[in-house]
Amino acid sequence: MSDLAIGAIGFGVLIVLIAIRVPIGVSMLAVGTVGYMSIAGTSSLLSYLKTEMYWRFTTSDLSVIPLFLMMGHFAARAGITTALFRAAAAWIGHFRGGLAMAAVGGCAAFGTVSGSSLATAAMMGQVALPELRRYKYSGALATGALAAGGTLGILIPPSIVLIIYAILVEGNIVHLFQAGFLPGVLATMGYIAAIAIVSRINPQAGPARPRADRAERWASLRDVWSVLLIFLVVMGGIYSGIFTPTEGAGVGAVATFLVAVIYGGMRLKGLLDALIETASTSGLIFLILLGADVFNAFLGFSRLPMWTAEQFQHAGLSPFVVLLGMIALYLVLGCLMDSLSMILITIPIFWPIIAALDFGLSPDELKIWFGIITLSVVEIGLITPPVGLNVFVINSLAKDVPMAETFRGVVPFLMSDAVRVSLIVAFPVVSLILPRLINA
Amino acid sequence: MTDQAAEDARPADAVGRALLQTTRALAVVGGLICGLLALMVTVSVSGRYLFSAPIRGDYDLLAIFTGVAIFTFLPYCQMVRGNVIVDFFTSNMAPSKKAVLDAFGTLLYLIIAIVFTWRLYHGMLQLRDSGEVIASYDFYRWWTVPFNLLCMIVLILAILYTLVRDIAVARQRIRLAEGGPEKG
Repeated sequence: MSDLAIGAIGFGVLIVLIAIRVPIGVSMLAVGTVGYMSIAGTSSLLSYLKTEMYWRFTTSDLSVIPLFLMMGHFAARAGITTALFRAAAAWIGHFRGGLAMAAVGGCAAFGTVSGSSLATAAMMGQVALPELRRYKYSGALATGALAAGGTLGILIPPSIVLIIYAILVEGNIVHLFQAGFLPGVLATMGYIAAIAIVSRINPQAGPARPRADRAERWASLRDVWSVLLIFLVVMGGIYSGIFTPTEGAGVGAVATFLVAVIYGGMRLKGLLDALIETASTSGLIFLILLGADVFNAFLGFSRLPMWTAEQFQHAGLSPFVVLLGMIALYLVLGCLMDSLSMILITIPIFWPIIAALDFGLSPDELKIWFGIITLSVVEIGLITPPVGLNVFVINSLAKDVPMAETFRGVVPFLMSDAVRVSLIVAFPVVSLILPRLINA
Repeated sequence: MTDQAAEDARPADAVGRALLQTTRALAVVGGLICGLLALMVTVSVSGRYLFSAPIRGDYDLLAIFTGVAIFTFLPYCQMVRGNVIVDFFTSNMAPSKKAVLDAFGTLLYLIIAIVFTWRLYHGMLQLRDSGEVIASYDFYRWWTVPFNLLCMIVLILAILYTLVRDIAVARQRIRLAEGGPEKG
C-alpha cells in the first residue's frame, strides 16, 4: 500500500473514531502512532516517542497558552463584567435594544482580556440576562445577543485559536493579533446593527429603558478603568512590540490576579478554582496539541497534504472557489465539533492548498488573511445548531427561554456574521491594514 | 469545565475520591507553577525595561516549567472527563451503549498513556546520558522528567479507574449522570 493511501485511510479512521465518542486528542494519538509505525517502521516510532511528549509540552512558544487561559480565568473573577455591562448600559441603554447592545459591547470589552468564547458568554450572561429580562427584552433577543456576543471573546485578540493557528502555519502571533482587531470591531458593530434592526422591526423585543443622567454615566466609567488599563498594558504592549505575546500573557495574568483580589473579592477558594480551571482547560488543549503533533508527523510522512495541495494547484480551480469550499466545510464541521479541534485537524491539509494558490498576496499576508477568515468562520459554529456551545451556555442561564427560541434569536446575528465574513474575504485589507500600518 | 459537570463526574467510592483528590492536588501544583511563571515573566519584563536586567534564562525556565505544569494537568482532566469529545452522532444513544463506546476510547487512551510513559522513561535516560543542561543554568534537562513520569503514572491510574467505571456502566451495574462535557 502506498504511503498516500495509508494517509488517506488514517484520515478516515480518525473521523470514525471522533464520531464514536473517542476523545479527539486520543483519536489523533491513536491514528498518528499506528500510521507513523506503518510508514516509518516500529523502531523509528519508538525513538520518536521517547522525547515527543517532553518536547511538545516543553516549548516556550506554547507556554503562552496556559498563561492566557490563566489571565482569562482571573479576569472572570475580577468583577469586571458587571462594571463593563453597567457602564455600557449607562451610555447606550436608553436606545431601543440598548441593553442588548450594552451586553454585546461588554462582551467585546471583556474579549480584549479573555481568549475564550464560552467564558465570555457565561460571564456576561450572568450579569446581563437578569437585567435584560427585567426590562422585558424578548427571550430570543436577550439570549441570542449574549450567545453571539460571547464569540467576541475569541474573535477579539487575545485568542487561543489564533495562537494555535500561528503555531500550525509557523506564522507571527503578533501580526495575527493585530490583524484580528479590526474584524473584531467589525463583528461588534455588526451585532449592534443586528440588534438595532431587530428592535426596530419588533419594538417589543428590545424596549428602551430610562436614560441615565450625566453623573451616572461618568460614575459608571470609574469601575472600568482596570479593564482599560489591562488592555492598554497587555494588548498595547503586544501590538506595539514592547513585549512578546508570552510576556504579555504573563503580565496580564499577574494584573488580572491583582484586580481579582483587590476589586473582585477573590479569596483562597476563588484562587484554587481559577487554578483548577486553568489546569483543566490547559490539560484538554495540550492533549489535543500532542495528538495533533503526532498525527501531523504521520500525515507529513504520508505526503498526503503535499499531494492534495498539488492536485488543487493542477485542477485549475479559481482560488476563491477553493476558499469558499473550505469555508462551507468549516460551517458544516462547526456544527459537529469545537473550533480548536477543527483547526488542528484541517489546517495541516488546508494551509498547503491555500499557500499553493495565487490570491495576489505575499505568503506572510496570505497566512494572516487566511487565519482571520478561519477564525471568523469556525467561531460561527459556536452559535449554530445542533451543538452551538455558546447557545447552550446562555440557554442554561435563562431557565424560562426554550432552546428553540434561543436558536431563533441567533439568526439575525448569523446574518451579520455572513456579511462580515464576506467583507473579510472580499477585502483582505480589512485584516491586513493594521499589521501593515504598525509594522511599516 | 463547569461546576455542574465536575459535580456529575464526582466519584462516590473511596478509590475514586482518593484519585480525584490526588489529581486535583497535582493540578493545583501545576496551576501554582503557572502562576509563579507569570510572576517571573512580569519581574523579568519589568527588569528589562526599568534596569535593562531581565531574569537570566527566563524563556528556558518558562519552557521547562510549563512542561512540568502540563504533565500535572492531564490526570485531573481524565478524572473529571474533561477531554473533548464529539457527541453529535451518539447523542440519542442509551447511556449503557455510550458507555461501551467510552470504554473503547478510554482503553485506547490507556494503551497510549502506557506506551508514552514507557518511551518517556527511555527519553529520560537519553537526556541524562547526553548530559544536556538548559542554557544559562547548570540545570540538567532530565531532572524534571522523574516528576513528569510520576504524573504519567497517576494518569494511568486515573484512566484505569475511569475505564473500570465505563465498563460498570456499560454492564448496567451502575447508572451515571451524563458525563463527558464538550469544550469549545
